[in-house]
Amino acid sequence: MLTRLGRSTLKVLDYTGSLGLLIKETFTSLRVAPIRWRLVLEQMLTIGSNSQLIVAVTGAFTGAVFTAQTCFQFRTFGMESAVGSVVTISLFRELGPALGALMVAGRVGSAIAAEIGTMKVTEQIDAMRSLGVHPVDYLVVPRALAMLISMPLLVVECVALGIIASWIVGVQILNIAEAPFIDNILKYTTERDMYISLCKGFFFGFVIVFISCLQGLNAKNGAAGVGQAPTSAVVISSIAILIFNFILTFALNIIFPMS
Amino acid sequence: MIEIRELKKSFGPQLVLDGVTLSIHEGETCVVMGRSGSGKSVILKHLIGLLHADSGSILVDDEDITGLEERELTHIRRKVGMLFQSGALFDSMSVEENLAFPLLEQGVTDKKIIDEKVAEALELVSLAGEQKKMPENLSGGMRKRVGLARTIVGRPRCVLYDEPTTGLDPIGTDSINHLIRRLQKRLAVTSVVVTHDLKTAFSTADRIAFLHEGKIYFTGTPKEMQESADPIISNFLNGISEESEL
Repeated sequence: MLTRLGRSTLKVLDYTGSLGLLIKETFTSLRVAPIRWRLVLEQMLTIGSNSQLIVAVTGAFTGAVFTAQTCFQFRTFGMESAVGSVVTISLFRELGPALGALMVAGRVGSAIAAEIGTMKVTEQIDAMRSLGVHPVDYLVVPRALAMLISMPLLVVECVALGIIASWIVGVQILNIAEAPFIDNILKYTTERDMYISLCKGFFFGFVIVFISCLQGLNAKNGAAGVGQAPTSAVVISSIAILIFNFILTFALNIIFPMS
Repeated sequence: MIEIRELKKSFGPQLVLDGVTLSIHEGETCVVMGRSGSGKSVILKHLIGLLHADSGSILVDDEDITGLEERELTHIRRKVGMLFQSGALFDSMSVEENLAFPLLEQGVTDKKIIDEKVAEALELVSLAGEQKKMPENLSGGMRKRVGLARTIVGRPRCVLYDEPTTGLDPIGTDSINHLIRRLQKRLAVTSVVVTHDLKTAFSTADRIAFLHEGKIYFTGTPKEMQESADPIISNFLNGISEESEL
């Protein structure tokens, strides 16, 4: 039992160390190597633009369902007018960033790990190295920059669609009075909620891109290894998002306290 | 040009190279032979810094590359190119883009120069006009040729060939063998060819090094190897397995 615990701890430490080294190498690359902006734009299209639909659908239906449930509960106390603000603050602070990031981890993280993993097992990465090109410069940096730019924007989109869906469900379907619904959103939602949303989006993007790149770069054992890489990337990224979401909630609440 | 001194490498408990010492002279074609799994490709990967030695040293133009970091190896990799067993083409890029890749990374930006160099390299490997094809539409032999064209497009002084004829039919094998000789003559490159294919070895080598039990067991000309009375060499050449393997 103790041996197993020790082994698992060592594995986690080893993995964290590899992740740290990849992040360090990425920062080194940003310092010493030219940024391939064409690749960054291509990746922004793949990571950002092509993820819009899934993020928008996630935000919209989360906002819709959360509004309906909140309304059913609050109606018993005669507090329907607070539904809009509760949903909006929750979307900004928690649901938008966390659910958006989980969806991006599933769609983009798996694709990154599969692509880099395939390149690894087919010796394309070794070929790249043999041609004097550092794989981190060419593969990781453009994806990292694209993700760090795209993810906060995707979170904004997710939250915005959630709020629109909340208005449709709350005001148009469940007949909450529009004026207090909107007033309360404007009264209780502050710029601090938006900062928290953007910070979380940025940080979750950071987590997804480095974990996915690492899983790809560590792929081995042929097709089986390539198959394993995206699965692990999604599982590890999702767990990391959930854990860091908890930590960030407390940390960001200190930096941007509720008024 | 390349000097390998007492190179040792293990993977886990398995000792693969146990003190390899070998010199590769400027302009020659040196073939490294040995049985499958003997560590031939491992030697090759050390010569370009894709693997790091446990001990020993590798000198390229008198510069010890064993302790160099990945980013410090760039100038070595401009001098020494490598053809991978599978060709290792970038499968998301066309033939043309594969060949343009090392040029762009070396800072060549003029499209006309890139097009000229790409066409010239493809002509050298007898694939003129195949610029627009994708790797998935190429045969195994063509992939190796394109891989070779990508290796030589930046004009390295030394080319490493990792099992260049594995998986090819006899005619494909013969054409790659001719190509290796032709490139050596036309570009005056130093070549290191790793193979267990006797035909490739004897038709391309100026000198053969035979790897056995992690060490260079024999070096000599193809003729000297063919005439060797050593039982290990003659068993290898005649394809006779040892009793313990039966």
